[in-house]
Formats: sequence, C-alpha cells, structure tokens
Amino acid sequence: MIEAINLSKSFTSYKKQDGITGTLKSFFHRVPIKKSAVNQFNLSIKKGEIIGLLGPNGAGKTTLMKMFTGIIVPSEGELLVNGHRPSERSKEFRKKIALVMGQKSQLWWDIPAMDSFSLLQKYYEIPEKEFREKVEYMSTLLGVKDLLHVHVRKLSLGERMKLELMASLLHSPEIIFLDEPTIGLDLVAQENIRNFIKEYHRKNNITIILTSHYMADVQALCDRLVLIFKGTKGYDGPLNDFEKILGTKKSVYFTFKDKTIHDDSYWNELDSTWNEDRTEVEIKLDEQQLRNVSSEILAKFPVIEFHTEKMPIEKVMKTLMANPDIILDHSSQEGEK
Amino acid sequence: MNTIKHYLSVYRKFIETSFAEAASFRLNFVLLILMDIVFYISALATVSFIYDHVSMIGPWNKAQLMFFVSFMLAVDHLHMVILSESFWMLSTDIRTGNLDYTLLKPVHSIFIVFFRYFRASSTLNIFVTWATLIYFGLQANLTTLSWISLPFLVILAFILLAILEIMISTSMFWLTEGLGINFLRMQLQQVSRWPDYIYQRTIKKVFTIAFPILVIGSAPVRFLYDNKLYENILLLIGAIIIFYFLLLKLWDIALRRYDSASS
Amino acid sequence: MANLLKWWQTMRISWSRYTAYRLNFFLQVIGPAIVFFFIKYSLWSAIFSQEPHKVIQGYDFQGMINYHVWTLIVGLVAQGHTAMNLSEDIRLGRISTYLIYPFNFWEFHTASFFSFQILQFCIALISLGILLAIGVISSLTLSTLCIGFLFCFYVSLFWYLLQYLTGILGFWLEETWMLRVILQIVAGFLSGAIIPLELYPQKFVAFLNYTPFPYLTYYPVKVFSGDYSHLMQAFLVIAFWIGITFVLNHLVWKKGIKNYTAAGM
Repeated sequence: MIEAINLSKSFTSYKKQDGITGTLKSFFHRVPIKKSAVNQFNLSIKKGEIIGLLGPNGAGKTTLMKMFTGIIVPSEGELLVNGHRPSERSKEFRKKIALVMGQKSQLWWDIPAMDSFSLLQKYYEIPEKEFREKVEYMSTLLGVKDLLHVHVRKLSLGERMKLELMASLLHSPEIIFLDEPTIGLDLVAQENIRNFIKEYHRKNNITIILTSHYMADVQALCDRLVLIFKGTKGYDGPLNDFEKILGTKKSVYFTFKDKTIHDDSYWNELDSTWNEDRTEVEIKLDEQQLRNVSSEILAKFPVIEFHTEKMPIEKVMKTLMANPDIILDHSSQEGEK
Repeated sequence: MNTIKHYLSVYRKFIETSFAEAASFRLNFVLLILMDIVFYISALATVSFIYDHVSMIGPWNKAQLMFFVSFMLAVDHLHMVILSESFWMLSTDIRTGNLDYTLLKPVHSIFIVFFRYFRASSTLNIFVTWATLIYFGLQANLTTLSWISLPFLVILAFILLAILEIMISTSMFWLTEGLGINFLRMQLQQVSRWPDYIYQRTIKKVFTIAFPILVIGSAPVRFLYDNKLYENILLLIGAIIIFYFLLLKLWDIALRRYDSASS
Repeated sequence: MANLLKWWQTMRISWSRYTAYRLNFFLQVIGPAIVFFFIKYSLWSAIFSQEPHKVIQGYDFQGMINYHVWTLIVGLVAQGHTAMNLSEDIRLGRISTYLIYPFNFWEFHTASFFSFQILQFCIALISLGILLAIGVISSLTLSTLCIGFLFCFYVSLFWYLLQYLTGILGFWLEETWMLRVILQIVAGFLSGAIIPLELYPQKFVAFLNYTPFPYLTYYPVKVFSGDYSHLMQAFLVIAFWIGITFVLNHLVWKKGIKNYTAAGM
C-alpha cells in the first residue's frame, strides 16, 4: 500500500541578518540554511494495517504524512502510495486518500457541516444514494445526527472533530492519514473517536496511518508501531515487542502509609525504586517471579494500595523520548542480527 | 465534457454555500453593495469633472472615456463577485497551512483556491454596472456589431484580468507574509482602469506585451469604437491563451515550492 | 512616568512590527501612494500634451503636477494610517488580553499610531528629498514646510479617530474593512486627492466645505504651497470634527465593551 525508499525532505530557509546593511547584504547574497526534516526513511505498509507513527514534536511525523498525501514534494527518494506517486497529485490518487488533521479544520466555519459535506460530495463525485447512506451510517455511529445542521462555529471541539472525521471518510478512501485526531479532546471524546475508528476499520478494512501523543490511542488501535526521531526511523515492529524494548520485566507498585518500611532490609534483594516520600516502591520483576513476590509483600507489609503498569508503552515512550539513543542502538543491533 | 459537468456542479455548490454564508451577516451584505456603488460614482464623477474643463483626453471625447470607465467597472464587477474574496484568503491559507486540504481534493487547486468564495451581495450591482454601460454606450454611438460583442468582450476582459491577477498572487508562495501582494495586485488594477494612451511609451509597451494589464480594457474598447480594428481582439485573445499556459506552469512551480506550515 | 515608559515601549514594538515585513509595508502603504501619483502624472501629461500652454482653473501643467506632488506627501502623513490591526484585535477576540493588561486598548493603538506617523514622516521626507532632487517641486521654504507638516499631523489625528471608529464597529460587524474602503474612496474623491477641488462644480464645493473632507487633502496642499488664507478656518473645522469623533468613539467603545463582556466571548 505504501512503499517509501530512502525518503528525505529538507527545507531551505535563509539566514536573516540584522540592520539595514544586513538586509541589503542578504538581498544580494542569501545564506541558505538547510534543515533536514526527514532523512533516508524506509517504510513498507500492507493493505489493512493500522500503523502508529510516533515521535516527539518536530521529529518529522507531519512532514511524512504530508509527503504521503502529496501536499509537499520529497527532496529525495522513492515513494509509492497505492501505486501512485503522491507528488504527481493525480486525480485518482486524491480520490483514494484522506487526511484528518486534529489542529486544522476542513469544515467551513460559517455554515452547517452538512453543507460542507454536500460540497465534498460534488468534489469527489459521490453518487447521491451512497452519500446519503454513508452520512446516515457514520452520523449514527458517532452520535452526531443532531449536529449536522448546526453552524460549525457553534460546536464544541469534540463535536467538530467527529464531523471532521466524517468529512474525510465520505468518499470511502482506501488509505486514511490521521494526524493527531484526538488532540485537545476530553477523555470521553477521545474514546468515542477511537471506537469509531476501530469500528470503521473493522468494517471497511482500510489502511490507517495514525500519529498521536496519546498512548491510549496507539494502544487501542495500532498493531504496529513506527518510531521517528529527528527524521530517521527508530523502531518499526509489533506493538507487543515495543513494550519489551526496555527489558521484559514487569513493574509492580506498592504504597504504604508507614515511611519506615523503606528501611527494611527486605528490599535490598529486589530491583526496587522508591519515590521521594518513601511511601511508594516500584519493583521490577520477571514474569515467573511476579505472583510469588507480590503475595509475599502483601503478606509481610501493611500495603494500602498496589497496581501493575497499566500502559507499558507509555513508560517506554517516555524513556525513549528522554534518551533516544537507546532506540537508535537497539535498531542497529536489530540490523546486525 | 464530464470534467466540465463535474466542475460546474462543484461551482454550483460554491455559490450555494457562499449565499448561505453571506446570509448570516446581513449588515455586511448591505455594506458591500454600498462600497461598490460609492466606488462607481467616484470613478465616473472624476472623469466627468475633468471633461467639464477639457474637450478631449487623447483621442477620446467625454462619452468615449465614460464608456471606457463603465466597461472597466463592468469587468471589475465580475471580478468583485467571482474572484476578489479568494485573493485575501490565499495569503492566510498559505501561511497557516490551510491550503493542505485544498491540495488533497480531486479538483484543480486553482479552481478551489480562486473560485471558492462567490461574493453573493455584489451580484445585485450587475444592474448598476450594466445600466451605466448601456447608457454611455448609447452616448458613444456603438454599432450593432459592437453591441452584440459587448457582453463577450466584458467576459474576455475579465478572463484576462483573472489570469493576470492569479499569476501575481502566485508570488505569495515565495513570501512569508503574502498579504502585501494583494495591494500590488490592486495597484496594477488601478493602472489598467485608464486607457493605455495616457501612459508613456515604454510603460505602455511593458504593460501591453510583458504583462498585458493595459490590454484588458483598452484593446476591446478600441474595437468597439471602430470595428475595423479587429487586431485588438486578436491581441486580447492571444494574451489570454499565452498567459493561461504561463499561469498553469507557474502554479505548478509554486506548488512544488509549497512547504505547508508545519503542524 | 511609568505610563510614559509603557507608551514608549509600545511605540518601539509597533515600529518593529511595521518594519518586520518590509515588502508588505512597502506594497501596502508606500506603493499605492506612488502608483496613485504615477497615474495622475500620466493622466495630466496626456491632457496637457494636447495644449501645452492651457490653463485649467488656474492650473498650468507645472501647477497641476505640483498639486499632486503635495497630495502625495499629505496622503502619506495625514491619511496613511489604517485601523486594520485594531479591528483584527476585536474580531479575533484578542481584546480580552487588553482587558487584563494595565495598559488600555486605546493607549496601545494610539501609541502604535504615533509610531506609524513617525515612520510615515521619515518616508515623506525621503520622498520629498527625491522630488526636490529631480526638480519636480519648485518653490519651498522651511517655514511652509514646518507649518505644512504640523498641519498634516493635526489632520492625521482626525483621520486616526475616524479609522478608530471603523475599527471598534467590529463589536457589531463581522468585517469592518468595507467601512475603511468606503472611507478611503469617499475621502479620496471628496478631499481633492484625485483632482483639485477647483475643477469640481462650484455648488458641490460649497457643499463640501461643510464636510470635513476638503480639510484632509485640499487645504493641507494649499498650506504646503504657501497659501495660508484658510488656515485658521481649517484649524477650527478640524477641531470641531475631532471633538465629534472623539465623543463618538468614547460612546461606541463604552457600548461595545459592555456588549462584549456581557456576551462573554
């Protein structure tokens, strides 16, 4: 579905010099500054996959998405999306893709969403019957039937985002690019959007590329993760393996009221980390030890609360963002194997 | 044929949505009409006042120059209704990256960018501009052939104006802040609103050949006064064809240049 | 004193904002003035080329060009400012920030206007220098120049208040640029910026004298040309209009801000 080989994009800006002489100088001789946004990126995606494209701000995720959709032209490398070169922007290609950007709106602000939809119907030449059915199906699923005729500027962000999603799916695209679709939404709205995407994917078997800073999105939707750091690929593989990047050990957390428990020699044998208040300890355990050690602690100390890690990938992500070298080493080792 | 049908159906939607948008701001509606009428009056009165003191400007008498001004106002009216709003949106759309969605649509981006905003309120002024045009046309004694070709020439003149203005706007892709280009565009419009013979020879040449803004009005009106001067029509049509292709080429280069504001 | 510093700082910020996009500033403010002059020059050259020694209502070719040179300078200093930023502030809801600042909305924009005026004054001086160098301007004394510029600044206050009014109508109007365009067209036409008022029908001019428009361009141009005969009258008429627009702005603002805070936008 998507084949990217050595894909690169760099932006050129010009050095700005101060003062009038500087301006004059730069008028005649501009000093270009090249900034590489994406560098030698390789990626292969099969039909029907849901890929999570992750990375810190400014890592090049959005640039990648814009190259995949043909909005910007790659500086180097080969790119095929659904058999088309996106930069040629052929009509057939544009009819097969959709892009949703959480921070931008394609709905017209001063008219109801339904009016925007019917304009999109004309753009994409969607037959009337298909269009009606599609609107009916999606608005029911998203619970926005009553909002279709409300002026978009009067909607909440969550409501608008649902309609934005609908707008980009009207023409039944084969590949959908979701760029931070849940940004700024409350927890319920986030979950609604996630469930909708999941259901829509299940029914239509489309290819989805998703970027998000919320690990819950990734956890719920993606089978496969692609990590991008400073324009280069860090990790590419199944979600389950990603959790184990930092080791296969599981973390268990125990909370105590009594601070003196910290001083007990019992902890010395374990891989334990205490919080500053000396009231909570994180223990890293192998899977086979997990049950024994946990029950031992529960029996031995007055535990007031305990839990295991809810979202291991969130922790992995945090660690990697703080220290990207881990993953870059990891992937080079992969290459050697 | 199918493509034309497709584009027409899209354009109908553009008009519908523009009317829907305009209807929610009624006071704006009235102000826009008023604005154009004030402009028409000042343009016509200025020329009329000058002719109170001179009998000819260049080769044209009062009726002829008044008709020329009316012709340009009729062209300007089409421009006002069909294009003008879009130019102002483009610089923001480029800067904010809103153009992204436009580029994804399976319709030519020039079409969406420049024809999306139809200025509903200004449509009513068509009665004003055409009443003026016919009134001064009668005074200038147009021939039957001229009357028949008049509507077509207004449209052709508008097409040339549109092409040239879109070309100018394309430069916004190269600037961090493209708003100022609209003022450049408007200044060139001002230049084109006077007959070409008032300008010095070099300037007249540049604006007739290199960037033919003076062809917009002067060429067709000269033909309307003297139907033997058909080479003026050829000049107008030739300019349209040449600059149409240049525009497509330029637009293509501009899109390759488009960075899309990050995130 | 502290307040004065705020004004000074605001003026500096505005200055760098105006000059940040030099090309834009040129195209938006200076370009139109030059093109306007260029068209008028071409037009009158064409008219006078047929009868080089003709005198139209007291203007020979040199006199007519002189008149338009001065309208260029007057236009730069007296009518250059627009309230675009101001109405944007209201339209985009940025006004809330001013309600929190210990510096008022009008103070901010007036400081910004002063800074703009200084910039325009510099541009006017440069233009004047160029026009003198190429010999378009004939007679000029330092005293007329000083009185002329002072008068222009005085007129620009009125112009600023008018612009301000169009801007704060943004409390009620979705867009206010049409008001400014109307103002621009009407002022251009009725102030004598396009053609000298002597060429207008006499009755019409008699009527115009009751409006503030001739004082925007025609009379300042007269002052620059050394004709002070209407200076006192012009001064009083503008004072009257400054008073009216000032009160009007005050009332409109009070009502607008009440609406605004009530709607809780």
